[in-house]
Amino acid sequence: MKILGKTILLGLLLAAAGARANFAPGEKVIVLNSGEGSVSIVDPVARVEEKRIPVGKEPHHLMVTPDGKELIVANAASNDLVFLDPKTGEILRRVPGISDPYQIGYSPDRKWFVSASNRLDRVDIYHADGFRLAARLATGRVPSHIAFSADSRLAFVTLQESNEFIAIDLATQKVLWSMPTGRQPAGIWMTPDDRHLLVGITGESHLEIYDWRARKLVKRILTGTGAHNFVARGDGRHVFLSNRMANTISLVDQQTLEVKETFSVPGGPDCMFITADGRQLWTTTRWIRKLTVVDLETKKVLYQIPVGRSPHGLYFQSHAPLQ
Amino acid sequence: MDALTLLAAKATALWAGTQDFLFESVVQPLVFRLGLTAWLEPAFDATEVFMVGALEVAVLAVVLGLLERWRPVEVWADRRAVRVDVLYTLLVRLGVLPLAIFFLLLPLVDGFNGWLRLHGLIPPTLEDAFPALFAHPLASFLAYLVLVDFVQYWLHRAQHRFEFWWALHALHHSQREMTFWTDDRNHLLDMVLVDLALALTAVLVGVAPGQFVAIVALTRAVESLAHVNARVSFGRLGEWLVVSPRFHRVHHAIGLGHEGRTRGHNFAVLFPVWDHLFGTANTVRDFPATGIRDQLHGRDYGEGFWRQQWLGLKRLAGRA
Repeated sequence: MKILGKTILLGLLLAAAGARANFAPGEKVIVLNSGEGSVSIVDPVARVEEKRIPVGKEPHHLMVTPDGKELIVANAASNDLVFLDPKTGEILRRVPGISDPYQIGYSPDRKWFVSASNRLDRVDIYHADGFRLAARLATGRVPSHIAFSADSRLAFVTLQESNEFIAIDLATQKVLWSMPTGRQPAGIWMTPDDRHLLVGITGESHLEIYDWRARKLVKRILTGTGAHNFVARGDGRHVFLSNRMANTISLVDQQTLEVKETFSVPGGPDCMFITADGRQLWTTTRWIRKLTVVDLETKKVLYQIPVGRSPHGLYFQSHAPLQ
Repeated sequence: MDALTLLAAKATALWAGTQDFLFESVVQPLVFRLGLTAWLEPAFDATEVFMVGALEVAVLAVVLGLLERWRPVEVWADRRAVRVDVLYTLLVRLGVLPLAIFFLLLPLVDGFNGWLRLHGLIPPTLEDAFPALFAHPLASFLAYLVLVDFVQYWLHRAQHRFEFWWALHALHHSQREMTFWTDDRNHLLDMVLVDLALALTAVLVGVAPGQFVAIVALTRAVESLAHVNARVSFGRLGEWLVVSPRFHRVHHAIGLGHEGRTRGHNFAVLFPVWDHLFGTANTVRDFPATGIRDQLHGRDYGEGFWRQQWLGLKRLAGRA
């Protein structure tokens, strides 16, 4: 009986090890609690929230600086950027005077830093060096996510309430053209070959694919209600798309432009991150105030970790390539 | 994990679970059908506002209801006049009217804020002035609470001082059977004006939406208590710290509350210190009858909701 018990225990341990992703010693998962202005510091090994640090008002999105040394948190209602240690989440510095930063992004050539002001219908273009404002553009309603052309000439921004996305010439800081979309476009994603833009249509149940050079809708693919946000699988070919209202995540092949599979993740999946070994998908599940971890082999939820109110952006250092 | 932490975690999980259930099963499908998915997050927050309101009304109804039975200032055989105040309370605290006003004012307030940004102006927040507040959310919350209360004091003075505003605000004072339900008895236009002023304040001093909801919830609880039909005062020190039922009843008193040079006394919403500072405090130890002097001469302010709203508009136009 004892031997049987030990065998079962060993089996369970092996099963758990199979699902476990590799994180560096001391590495933390950093989660933005947009509804309470804090950052949750989560131990990915012990699977618990270690602490919660006040960071500013309405932190929604975060991204690592191009040199990988700092993590930028955009505090929409504090009008500032807060820089964290990307490994531990410790606050390093604060840059004030950034108007209502919601989504943020660097152009691939690192010259421009673009911030979408979701609440105030503005897109701000800063010289990335020193965050000096180059231009503030009045746009259509509710600018949301941002993508760039590979040559850093264009920034694309979805306008959720205007049902379109716009192309901004970064050198002249002018809106060149706009493209009508389905209802409430949110996530916008450039394929690695720089040919297509994928747009998550949150007010409907599909993904729209645009040939942006020809300014033409190529395809609509059904994914799930509330198609919202993207993250690369890290293999240079596939991208995940969260369907917020369907409570699912779809895997999209960027070469064939097909959905390969869709799996269930309850609680309103939003922003996602993939572990460096490609074994786990971590996502903020906003409506249940939890971080949800999915095993990408079995497509099952491994565990959920309670964090703060309305968790949105997340980050960890041992992540899969972001393209 | 100690027992208290465990209990707090369980309570949070229960609350979050309820909010998720209400949102995902009722609110989210509705928002989607209405084509308003860009408003998912505000709708999620509104779900919690509804929950806070429902809980608050339930708790206040029990606690303050008992208080009114225990030490009533006045006892009425017929409580029909109170019924309309219950309706106002439910419409406001469950979020119906605030939601309508939110959608009415949002384009205006965000438009103003966006216009400021286009002209290179980012309104400074309290944290910009006092960076230590960044790391101390509770201190920050208290600072905003005091600031918003200060603004509310002056708004309240304006409601009594300007004839056009008093024409509307008089509805609130026309309740002669004042109970804890009376707090939300207000003219819709009066609500819009006050909310607009508060929303602009929030823009200009940087109150975060989440903080704003907490400030409003706390303020409302104290306001309900302040209107209670019960002989309650907070003692010599307490009367200086927080607005008590006694202090606020004087504000509603016939012949005391809204007359004279400052058009009344005891305007404070949370902290009576403003009345003491600006010379409008009246510390009479009494529980006078409530209402407006001209009611004694037969002026009608209406009994039902629509009649009250209509008469408010007529007073505003100088025709009632």
